[in-house]
Amino acid sequence: MNNPYLPLVARIVDVRDEVPGERPIKTFKVVLENGTTLGHRPGQCAIIGILGTGECMISIASSPTRQDSLEFSVMRLGQVTSALHECEPGDTISLRGPYGNGFPLHEWKGKNIVTIGGGIGQAPLRPIVHYILDNRSDFGKLDVLYGARSSSDLCFRDELFLLKKNGDASVHLSIDAAEPDWTGFVGFVPSNLLEVKPSPENTIAITCGPVVMIKYVIKNLLELGFTDDQIFTTMENRMKCGIGKCGRCNVGHLYVCKDGPVFSYATLKDLPEF
Amino acid sequence: MTYYLLPKDKINDFLAALADSEVWAPVKKEGVTLFEPLKDVAHLPLDLKNQPVLSKKALFPQNELLFTFDRKGTVTEADLAAANDIIVFGIRPCDARSFTLLDPVFEGDVPDPYYLTRRRKAALLGIACSEPFVNCFCTSIGGSPFGREGLDLLFIEGDDTFTVEVITQRGREIMEKASPLLSPAPAEERNHVEQRTQEAQAKVKRQLDLSGVPEKLALLFEHPIWKEFALKCIGCGICTYSCPTCYCFDMQDEAAPKKGKRIRTWDSCMFAEYTLHASGHNPRPSRTERFRNRIYHKFKFNPDTFGSYSCVGCGRCITLCPVNVDIIDYLSLVRETA
Repeated sequence: MNNPYLPLVARIVDVRDEVPGERPIKTFKVVLENGTTLGHRPGQCAIIGILGTGECMISIASSPTRQDSLEFSVMRLGQVTSALHECEPGDTISLRGPYGNGFPLHEWKGKNIVTIGGGIGQAPLRPIVHYILDNRSDFGKLDVLYGARSSSDLCFRDELFLLKKNGDASVHLSIDAAEPDWTGFVGFVPSNLLEVKPSPENTIAITCGPVVMIKYVIKNLLELGFTDDQIFTTMENRMKCGIGKCGRCNVGHLYVCKDGPVFSYATLKDLPEF
Repeated sequence: MTYYLLPKDKINDFLAALADSEVWAPVKKEGVTLFEPLKDVAHLPLDLKNQPVLSKKALFPQNELLFTFDRKGTVTEADLAAANDIIVFGIRPCDARSFTLLDPVFEGDVPDPYYLTRRRKAALLGIACSEPFVNCFCTSIGGSPFGREGLDLLFIEGDDTFTVEVITQRGREIMEKASPLLSPAPAEERNHVEQRTQEAQAKVKRQLDLSGVPEKLALLFEHPIWKEFALKCIGCGICTYSCPTCYCFDMQDEAAPKKGKRIRTWDSCMFAEYTLHASGHNPRPSRTERFRNRIYHKFKFNPDTFGSYSCVGCGRCITLCPVNVDIIDYLSLVRETA
């Protein structure tokens, strides 16, 4: 019997500072020591950790279309993420996965895609953006809405500015409060969504961010005419096992780790606790 | 059905005949009774009275080594293959049935090798509950004090003898190992057991009518009754730790500078830390949500996922609760709530 609790060893090959401050974010690029790739789908997660400290479920921030990189963007909050933030290139971490369902991108072929992210919530959306850029002719228009508290809290900032400049996607950035030199939207992400007003016609909208943001984004998407099955989100909860056994990540009778983390609003709206 | 007779004073000899396996039984130890693996089977003071001792840990240990690791990150899996066959003797029918409810959880999409290895090596030797406890309600939830579900052998206690009913092939093989101690039961034993079953079932006094409860729960998630119910609860978690069907667990690292181990331990949905995010957000922030989740898990979510209640009616959560939270009362109130 295969043992799903045994982690692999992954070596950190690059560490990028994304966001400074009290709740800093770093992106870790890793390679598996056994020379294999995870074979993940965009939207799936992996359990990474430091042996002796513990593990946590982190969304995979890179697209499988870019096989040379397996990336995790991690906010420093608890014991494990603090230990991860101490790591440097050359250090090893534990890794198991991939877990969860991922985004049904094959079903979205031919459609326009809108991603709506807030804060660290851009991390699971980033593989969608990369996947579409790498399979550009399979998809229609791509809108990337992303907001953070301030301009220095924007994750993947250089990449998003470059994307905007190159015109590969329509990028709509926002920050919560005005700053000198900021030319983007000022205000919360759900408000920016009403400003951008993406058409629901043949479009899928995917949102991830703080729980409150997700709820208002969904409310506003419905207002814009999106139907329940055109709206997707990816959730997080505290997790330990990753395989639907340890109990804690349930929303109603579904487990975020194995039945999610990607849910359509059509599924989600009937669940208690959402 | 095949029945044998075993003199009660030969029970230690019976277990000694099985000592090439890891034998678990309720033993008296310093004034209390514990479910433990037996070391010196022939001389142990067994406690065969009905009691609220949980046998779950024989197959799902309260603390369990998953693997060890060293500083270089080399991981060494706990040696599952080395485990002996396991005999769990003295388990009650409700607890034996609980393993049949844990099985689908640990099988699932991704099988759990730790639980399943022990489970597949285990034989369950039950004692029928001739004297059910005051809070037992197994008969309300598909069980019986003489229930066979999950068992390989059922021991029915008489004045001087046990009548042993052989339920499975595994049970038959165990009986063969102890054959010199056994004699065939007379033909009328079957009727006698049937009569004893009826008598025991009549002694289960508490009843819980679950008809319509899952459907009712589907409507009551936001109802104020949950706040009301949870006011009494002190969140100690004894209901989950004493529950044969609860399986939630935590995984923790115990580390020294150069080596360490990852341990799995029982956890409880009644604790705030259970669902607390590192960010400080908690999807179940108060006892109201946690209490509600426990009831929903057992009587709504588990039926939705596995088609069965996550409860066998053992009544331990009622008996052991320090503030008299009574699940029968609460579920009865759920039925009556409009």
